Amino acid sequence: MAQDSRWRHYGHYGARGLPGWVALAEGIDKMVTGIESPVTSERGLAARLRYLTTSDAGYEAMDRAGIHVRPATLIAWLAEERTPSKPHLARLDAAYWALRRRNVVADLKRRLGNRGRGTRIEIDPADQSWVAPRHRRTVQTRSINVRGSIWDRAVDAWIADDTRELEAIWDEIIQGGLGTDWDAYTFVSSVGWAA
Amino acid sequence: MGDDQLDGVEALLEEARLTARMPPPAERQRLREAAGLSRAQVANAVGVGRQTIANWESGDTDPQPPGRVKYLRLLEGLAQIHPAPVAATPQAPIETTTPQALVPASDLPQSAFRPDGLVVQGEPEPCIRCGVVTPFKATDGRSLHPGAMCQPAVAALSQRPAEPGAPQAPAAASTTPQTANTPATPAPRTAAPAPAPAAATPSPTPAPVPSRPQRRAKSAARAQTETSGLITRAVHEELERAEGDADAALQALIKRAIPDVMRLFEETRATARYQYTAYPTLPDILHKPSKREPDHIWEARPNFHHPHYSLKATGTIAVTALDANAAYLSAFKSWLPIGKLEHHTGSHGVDPKRSGVHLITPAPWNHPHLPDPLGDRDQPGPLWITDATLRLLLRLSGPKYGLIDPPAIHESWTSGATENFLDALRKVLAAARETAIAEDDSITEEYVKAMYSKFVSTMGESIHNRALQRPDWMHIIHSQAYANLWGKAYKAHQAGLEVIAMMGTDELHVTGDWRRVFSEGRGLAQMKIKHSDAKASGEYTVGKVAR
Repeated sequence: MAQDSRWRHYGHYGARGLPGWVALAEGIDKMVTGIESPVTSERGLAARLRYLTTSDAGYEAMDRAGIHVRPATLIAWLAEERTPSKPHLARLDAAYWALRRRNVVADLKRRLGNRGRGTRIEIDPADQSWVAPRHRRTVQTRSINVRGSIWDRAVDAWIADDTRELEAIWDEIIQGGLGTDWDAYTFVSSVGWAA
Repeated sequence: MGDDQLDGVEALLEEARLTARMPPPAERQRLREAAGLSRAQVANAVGVGRQTIANWESGDTDPQPPGRVKYLRLLEGLAQIHPAPVAATPQAPIETTTPQALVPASDLPQSAFRPDGLVVQGEPEPCIRCGVVTPFKATDGRSLHPGAMCQPAVAALSQRPAEPGAPQAPAAASTTPQTANTPATPAPRTAAPAPAPAAATPSPTPAPVPSRPQRRAKSAARAQTETSGLITRAVHEELERAEGDADAALQALIKRAIPDVMRLFEETRATARYQYTAYPTLPDILHKPSKREPDHIWEARPNFHHPHYSLKATGTIAVTALDANAAYLSAFKSWLPIGKLEHHTGSHGVDPKRSGVHLITPAPWNHPHLPDPLGDRDQPGPLWITDATLRLLLRLSGPKYGLIDPPAIHESWTSGATENFLDALRKVLAAARETAIAEDDSITEEYVKAMYSKFVSTMGESIHNRALQRPDWMHIIHSQAYANLWGKAYKAHQAGLEVIAMMGTDELHVTGDWRRVFSEGRGLAQMKIKHSDAKASGEYTVGKVAR
């Protein structure tokens, strides 16, 4: 949809920004909190191992991240008798964050849905400071409310890494609330919200 | 010239005389009530409807014929029987708004506490202080809000007059929230309905439409009473919920300080002129590399100790440690960028109407007695500073001070700015703080403190406050507070005091008679003596270091 719009040659005159759906996904990503200590620290490692070994989903996440070690090794890691190798540390970190994201999905939907009220987002348009003045368009910062049902779909698409769906959702958001000017917000410099 | 014509002139003169003496609306009501007349009685005698009299008394309309002359004559007669209570000369500006109707907290009985520390409850009755029904009891068995924390509405309104620039007369002539509120309030405040209007000069034709500044001042005052009502209501709510347990209430209040202050902020933005950007794209220098590491902005936090004096050296030079009150709250008055920060190279981004952050190389600071306005820096070379610090440096390099060479400005991230951005919020919080201090109400005071300090500390990239993401504002407000403190050090130095130390946000240690320079107290413009566990606190002595 965005391909045949007025941003046909986006960046031709020097406008800079990123696709709105990318900003949307990054915003959702920023809402995820978890263990702050890095995996390289003793504390961070112990916390991640504990998180990954208290549920079946944890073992599945380790499996998906490519950690295939014998139970004895895992017990030795947990008892801090041995430290995982560097590649294993990276995989543990990846497994932790993947599991963490899956586990907070319901919470994210609840926060963004806000009991049916949805969440208001602020859209900062693409940066045109490098565009020659005669080619600039007047595009303002806009705020629109996004309904809970759309957030549910967006969070699902985000956790599934479904870029097509995210793109469609972003187009739906800007077409629904921004009037005829909607296309100017296909590319943005940032999107923010409080949830 | 016939007699009938003369009679007509006489009648006109009579009417003009009565018009000139026409009392303002609230006074009309006072006179009627003082005489014990009902509106219906007056309406009958004058020959108009009862509602018409009510409109005349509220100031919604002015007395019109028919009935105008009769009504004015009645008022004149009543005024002779029941003269205005305070001032005989109507021109004298008077302060009838002093809340003498409000019972001082010291005259009230104490709240009655059960052995488990909670306030005794009983049959709900009107509170003896504010009149709102409450189950909590005082020691004498009457109902009283716990700790007499309730705020009588009239006191809150009358203590905060409108902007000094705004004339009082039109505001008094029209329906103000004061007259609208009073009928609903119970007995102890019957003296209240006659507040300001008696002061109004008896102008025959009050301006029908207030001018724009007047309307603004009025709406600002109304907004302020509404928003400060939010603060008292929150305190009230938490005290009720905690059943009078002050500590628990305070904890609950501090917990809700961030959402509450954001709500206040939104309220004060209601009719604001600028639409700010809450989630702008930020340049990399304003992003924290990780949650624990700071970003690249130097806020110029002072940590100055005069090298010629020391606690360890023997000597008897008396020093006083002073403390600026609510330094961050005062620093709300600073130039804040409204929109997204834009990049400029060289000194093109520096403009009195813009604000943001700047990369500069400062000139060396060589003053022997005053702290470096850039704070204590370990490494030389260029650094990112905020607009508040740059403004201070540029001022000090100007002809008036001539203390330092101007800094070299390399690049800037700035946006159009305004100094009034947080001003309404600052005024509301400052007024609430002042009232709380005057009434010795430590709960509200701590609550207000939590609100402004958390507002500043979480307005950046904090997970505790997602409603606002402006690290640039946070840095600017911080460094504005340090710049304000530097100004105080300069003032002390100019008055002949020696600045011994200047630390943190609000600490200033000086020798000599500081009371000549600063007024002592807890107000925003005052200083107080700082007492702490540190050795150098309160009043202490230092010696001169031999060198």
